[in-house]
This record gives sequence, C-alpha cells and structure tokens, in this order.
Amino acid sequence: MNKKLFTQIKNEWRTNLWLVTELLVVSVVLWYIVDFFYTSISTRIIPLGFDIEHCYRVDVDEVNVKSPEYIPERGDEQTGADRMELMERIRRRPEIEAVSWSQNSYPYNGSNSGIGVQYIAEGDTLETDGYTLRRYVSPDFVRVFRYQGINGETPEELAAMLKEGKVLINNDLFWKQKVELKDYIGKEFIIGDTSNIKRLGAALVPPRYCDYQTWNDCVVMDLPRWWYSWTNELCIRVKPEMDHDIKEMLMKDAPTQFRIGNLMVTDVVSFKDIRRNYQTFYTNRERNYYAGMGFLLLNIFLGLLGTFWFRTQQRVGEIAIRKVNGATDRSIFNRLIGEGLLLLVVATIPAAAIDTALSWYEFNSYFDGYIGWGRTSLCILVTFGLMALMIVLGIIIPARRAMRIKPAIALKDE
Amino acid sequence: MKLNTIFRSAWFQMKHQKVLSIVTIAGTALAIFLIMIVVMMQEVQTAPYAPESNRDRFLHYKYLSSYKEEWGEGDSSNGPMSYNTAKQMLLSLETPEAATAYRAFTAPAAMSIPKGENVQADFRPVDDNFWKVFDFTFIDGKPFTKADFDAGRPEIVITESVARAVFGTTEVAGREILMNLAPFRVSGVVKDVSTLADACYAQAWPNLSATTDMETTWGDIHGYLSVTLLARSSDDFAKIKDEYNKAHDRYEDQLKSAGWKISSRNRPYDQETQVIALSSNNEPDLPGERRRRLIIYLILLIVPAINLSSMTQSRLKQRTAEIGVRRSFGCTRGRIIADIITENLVMTLVAGVIGLLLSVIFGYLCNSLLFAQPFSMTFNPPKVDSSILFHWSTFGWAMLFCFILNLLSSGLPAFNASRTSLVNALSGRSK
Repeated sequence: MNKKLFTQIKNEWRTNLWLVTELLVVSVVLWYIVDFFYTSISTRIIPLGFDIEHCYRVDVDEVNVKSPEYIPERGDEQTGADRMELMERIRRRPEIEAVSWSQNSYPYNGSNSGIGVQYIAEGDTLETDGYTLRRYVSPDFVRVFRYQGINGETPEELAAMLKEGKVLINNDLFWKQKVELKDYIGKEFIIGDTSNIKRLGAALVPPRYCDYQTWNDCVVMDLPRWWYSWTNELCIRVKPEMDHDIKEMLMKDAPTQFRIGNLMVTDVVSFKDIRRNYQTFYTNRERNYYAGMGFLLLNIFLGLLGTFWFRTQQRVGEIAIRKVNGATDRSIFNRLIGEGLLLLVVATIPAAAIDTALSWYEFNSYFDGYIGWGRTSLCILVTFGLMALMIVLGIIIPARRAMRIKPAIALKDE
Repeated sequence: MKLNTIFRSAWFQMKHQKVLSIVTIAGTALAIFLIMIVVMMQEVQTAPYAPESNRDRFLHYKYLSSYKEEWGEGDSSNGPMSYNTAKQMLLSLETPEAATAYRAFTAPAAMSIPKGENVQADFRPVDDNFWKVFDFTFIDGKPFTKADFDAGRPEIVITESVARAVFGTTEVAGREILMNLAPFRVSGVVKDVSTLADACYAQAWPNLSATTDMETTWGDIHGYLSVTLLARSSDDFAKIKDEYNKAHDRYEDQLKSAGWKISSRNRPYDQETQVIALSSNNEPDLPGERRRRLIIYLILLIVPAINLSSMTQSRLKQRTAEIGVRRSFGCTRGRIIADIITENLVMTLVAGVIGLLLSVIFGYLCNSLLFAQPFSMTFNPPKVDSSILFHWSTFGWAMLFCFILNLLSSGLPAFNASRTSLVNALSGRSK
C-alpha cells in the first residue's frame, strides 16, 4: 500500500512539487509563529504579582495659573498637605477599599525611575547590575494592587512594613547569583547610596512589568513626605460589591469635595483601560501573528482542497477500477488522506532542519534568555499537527466525493 | 486573442471549473485582503490626510535625549523638551517653511462654561505656527495669531464635538470657556480630528503661551514640548538637518558649563521614521523595519502564489488539447503564454476587487482592533473615514499586488503549457 502511495506521488511529481514547496514555506513560517506563541503563553502563565481588578487611577491636575481660582502663595509644603488631604477624603468614601499616591510605580506605566540595591556583609556581597525600578509609594499602594509576599505575607502586612520604613524587594532580584531574598528578611540593604540604608521587610512575589514581560526587578519604599507636593499617581481600589459607575460618582463630587488648594480631579480611568492602552503594542503584535497563522492555514486548506478536487476528477477511472478490484470506500478515503499527510511528512523534514537552524542562530523570540531543543521540537510538532488538521479538512471534501464514485458509471466508456 | 475572446474564455473556464475557480478566487481575494490591511495599517501612519496633509514634508522632533559626559551617551534622559531648547535648536531654523512647538502628548482637562457641567476633553497647548503646519478645517472663527501668542492671550481652539457638548452649538467663536477652571476665549472651532493624526490630535488646543507649559522645565533642557518642522519640500530635508546640526552645536556650547550634551540620534525624523520611533532612548532602525515589511509582503504573496500556481497548472492540464490546436494553427509560444496570463489576470482582478472591498469594509468596522496606536495617551478610539482609509496609492498598491500575484501564479504554468510538444498536446497528453 505504502509503496503504491509513493509511486502515485512520484507519478504526479510536478504538482506534488508545488504542494511540497508550499507546505515547506508554510511550515517554516508557521513554526516561527507557533514559537512566538510558545514564548508569549509561557510568559503569561507566570503569576503577575499584582491585581488590577476594581482599580482606578484618579487624574489630578493643578488649576491653571491664569484662573481667578488659582492661589499663587500655595507653596510646596502646603501642596503636599493638600495632596495628602485629597487622599484622605477619597479614603473616607464608603466605596473605597484602599488609596495611594506613588511615583512612576503603578502597573502598565511605561515611565520608570531606577535605583541600585546593594547588600554588603562579610563573605556575602550582592549588587544589582541591571535596571532596578524604584517604586516610591504611600504604604497602601501594596493594598491597592494586592502585592503578595513570597512567604504568604498579605497586602495589609506589607503595608504595615512600609509604614515602619522597611523596603520590599522582588524575591528573585539576585537570581543570577542564585539567591532568594526571602532568606535575607530583616537584613539591611543599601538603596541608592550609603545615606539610605533600609531593612528588608519582605521578599515579594515578583510584580511583573506587564502581562507580556518577565522583567520585574523593583524595590518598593515609602514615598518621602516632601515628594507629595508634585508626585502625580493617585490610585484607588474599590470594594468589589460597589464597583459600578465609579467614574461618574467621583467626577460628580469632584468640583465640591476634591477641590483642595490648587488641586482638581480631571478624570478617573479604569486600570483595565490603562492596561489595554499600555499593551496595545503587544496585543497588536499578537493579533498580527494570529492573522498570519490563520492566513497560512487557510491557504493550505484552499490549496489542498483545489488540488485534490482536481485529482479526484482526473482519477475517476482509476478509483473505479480499484473499487471493482475490491477496495472499500474507507480505503479509497484513507488513500487520499494518506497521500496528503505523506506530502506533509516530506515537507516537514527539510522544514524541521530549517527551523533548527533558525533556532541555532536565535532568529526567534527569546523567553528567559535562551532557546531550548525541547521548545524547538515541541513547536515543530504543534506546527505539524496544525498543518495535518488543515490537510485533512482540505482533502475530506474531495475524498468523500471519490468514495461515492460508482464504478459502473465511471467505467462505462471502457 | 482579442480582449473580449479572453474575457469569454475566462468566463467559460470559471463556469466549467466551478470549485477550482471559487477556490482560486477565494485564495486570491484572501491574499489581496490581507496585504491591503497591512498596507492600510502602514498608510494611516504615513499617508497624508487632514490635518496632517503635509506628512511628506514633516520633520519631527518629538523627544530629546540629553546626557552628561561622565554618564556616557548610552545613559541618557529622554523626554519632551523645554521651550528654550525648542527655540534654540529648532524654532529658529530658517530653511523650513514653518516650525511649531506643541505639547508632546495630550492630557485630560475639564471644559465648561461658568456654572456649567464639566466636559472632559484631551487638550494640547500649541503655538501659533501649529495652525500653519497642520491644516485644520475651521467651521467657525479662526486660529489664534502670532500677536496672541506673543501677548500670552488665553485663546483656545476646540473641536465641534467639544463645542456641542459644552455650549450646545458650534458657533461659539469669541465666547468664553473654562479649561481646568481658567477662562479662555474660543478663537475657533475645528472639525474633529482622528487620534491617528498622532502629532496634532487633541480636542482642545489652548495657546501655549497662556499655559505653564512654556515655563515648565526639568533642568532647563527638558520640558513638555515637541517640535514639528514643515519643509518647503522633502528635498530640503538634508539642508534642514545641516542647519539643525549647527544650531545643536551652538546650544551644546551654551550647556557646556553645566556639563550637558544633547544626543541627536539622527533627529529630526521624517514621518516614516517617526512612527517607528517607539522608544526615545534608541535610534529607530528604518532599513530593518523596511526589510521586515518586505518579508511580510513576500510571505503574503509567495504562499498564495504557490498555491494558485498549482491550481492554474491543474486547470491548464485539461486544456492541453486546446493549446495543441492553437499551436498547430501557427500560434507562437509567447502568444500562448501572454494569453494565459491575461486570461488569469481577469480572474485575479475580480478577486482583487473583492479583496480590496473587503479590506476597506473591515477597516471601517474594526478600526479599534486594526489601528490602535501603541503607547497612546488618549483613551478615545482611532476613528477612520474614507479620507484616511482610501488613497489612490492604496488602489495602486492593490493593482500592483494583483499583477505580481498573477504573474507569480500563472507565469510558470503558462510557460510549461506552451512548451508541451505539439504531438502530445494534440493527443491530450501534457508531457
């Protein structure tokens, strides 16, 4: 049977060559896309380390200097006090669970501030060499975004640590040195320079930069008092049962309750929207890859459908003869499907070689900084599976037609 | 063959080989559809449409990179610039037709009339030249002037939607509006602008000199502003860059005492470069981007071309006898190839029109999905209209891609068919 299949494929080598070429090109491109999704999915299944459900950003601006309501003599200290008062007024509302001020700290931010972290002890020195995000936050920030300690510390416990002046650092900041910071709780760290030595309160479940990145190095500290005058991230967490029409409610009360000194609330934005906006670059890319994948698979489907439709039309006579000689409908059907799949196997062999070469030269996306053989083979297998599915779908229609050929009618001319 | 014979033959083929024809048309339409979507996604960013009709003459300086010598150039501060920096390095250039400074990004503001309800709008403070560089359509009033800018008068231009929401009408030039509680005089009302016109989009444009954006700086160099230069023609780009480089060196001399340097990273950028400049601490790689785009077009063309070509080959197989007859009556090989390609072109064009129509409809319906801009500050969706989505260049590209696809998919089969020996052809064998 297999030998016959080979002979058959050889006899139609010209069209088969086209098919194999197409399958080969598609296989390589599709593998590249599957590999991209592998890295994307692997990244996304890592815990985020924070939670933005029921969270909002309250946009605060200063009254324009040209406004008659502008108070020119409001100095930095008073503005800082105004901002704290605004936070307190929001905190007192029944629908609010937590509220915080912060600087370049909320998730899906894009604006960053960095700082170095050092640990110096005899025989054990640790120092950051990459960019570590400095998260200056008021203590309840960790309650707003539900940060978690690696030893199960709750957001409330973490907030209490910040209040005591302790710092929180992601557990794997020194992963290159194979160090886990949970073993350093209570130890003193140099944050920035030696004038700023802080005790580690807890190691954090790494709060990731966004859904599509594994980067998470950060040190969370209490926002210094004198920063309040200009820092501009006011974030809130709303009680789940009261999370409806928050924007409308807060904006309605903004002119009366949230007009303090020169401060005014201009907008309330859901973190779902902030996440969507910030991640557009990544979601666009993912959308393009999905579309590309769909396009390639549809092409295989159409190509196989067209070619095999024509083939069954051409082979009516032979199929009838095989039937007369005792072939069952099922065997005719299997023969056609087998022909398609065999072509795929023929195409996959060189395709796998190309895929491996591309992996070797690291043309595909990174995940955790390396590309492994397990990943390459898994992606080749998935690619093969997807293409096989499309081939079967493409051939089913003509193959069913072939099954229904009546030998007596097909061979009446003979 | 005459043209109408070719049409008749193509029509006959379509009727005779229904499934194969439908599959061919579907495959071609799908390819053209996807290619046109890619073209459109590119064109909304680079093709000219109001108020960015002069995109081919724009040079943008959106963000500035500064560093201290001791940090090294790799470690820089990146962000918008102060008015003084803009003036020293860009606004004073003489080669461009006009130069405008405006806030780099929009921010939400509360707009109202005294004692009225607040309406939230994205605002962007701009100077008077903004109205020369970008071509807004004024439906009431006019833009504020240089005199207004120099005097720091609180003038503002708003969109018709904001005018309607705040005043209930669009004829409001001369009336007072409050922006974040500060009174401004509405100097003009313009048609709404799509968020896709990234450099100039906003819903309210107050006079820059009437806001604190003029004076706000970080270390004197950075501030809130971006600059767009309007060249007289794109041929002037090199000359403008030369003039800019001189201004840059002069400004750096001034900053010497404080130890600051400005890293140009080859700025200012033309429109095509600006749209790929997503991070301001790296120089965008335009050749690399073009290469990636070419690879995408190639994949989108080659895969369906191979597909269609194998189907064309199948269809031609059935017509070997016909080709034999034509050859025996003296028809040349070249003629046969040309006829087959033209006949195929009819089908490709039909499919191309379907694909193009589908892509335009899809573009309209799925604007948020297709054209959402990365790292955008506004939460308003990117609206599109025919002036944005459809350009003659779009149509031109569609035709070109149809033609290439046709040539790729029917060229080789036609060549093979024409080479079939006469005896074999007449007996119906393809070899």
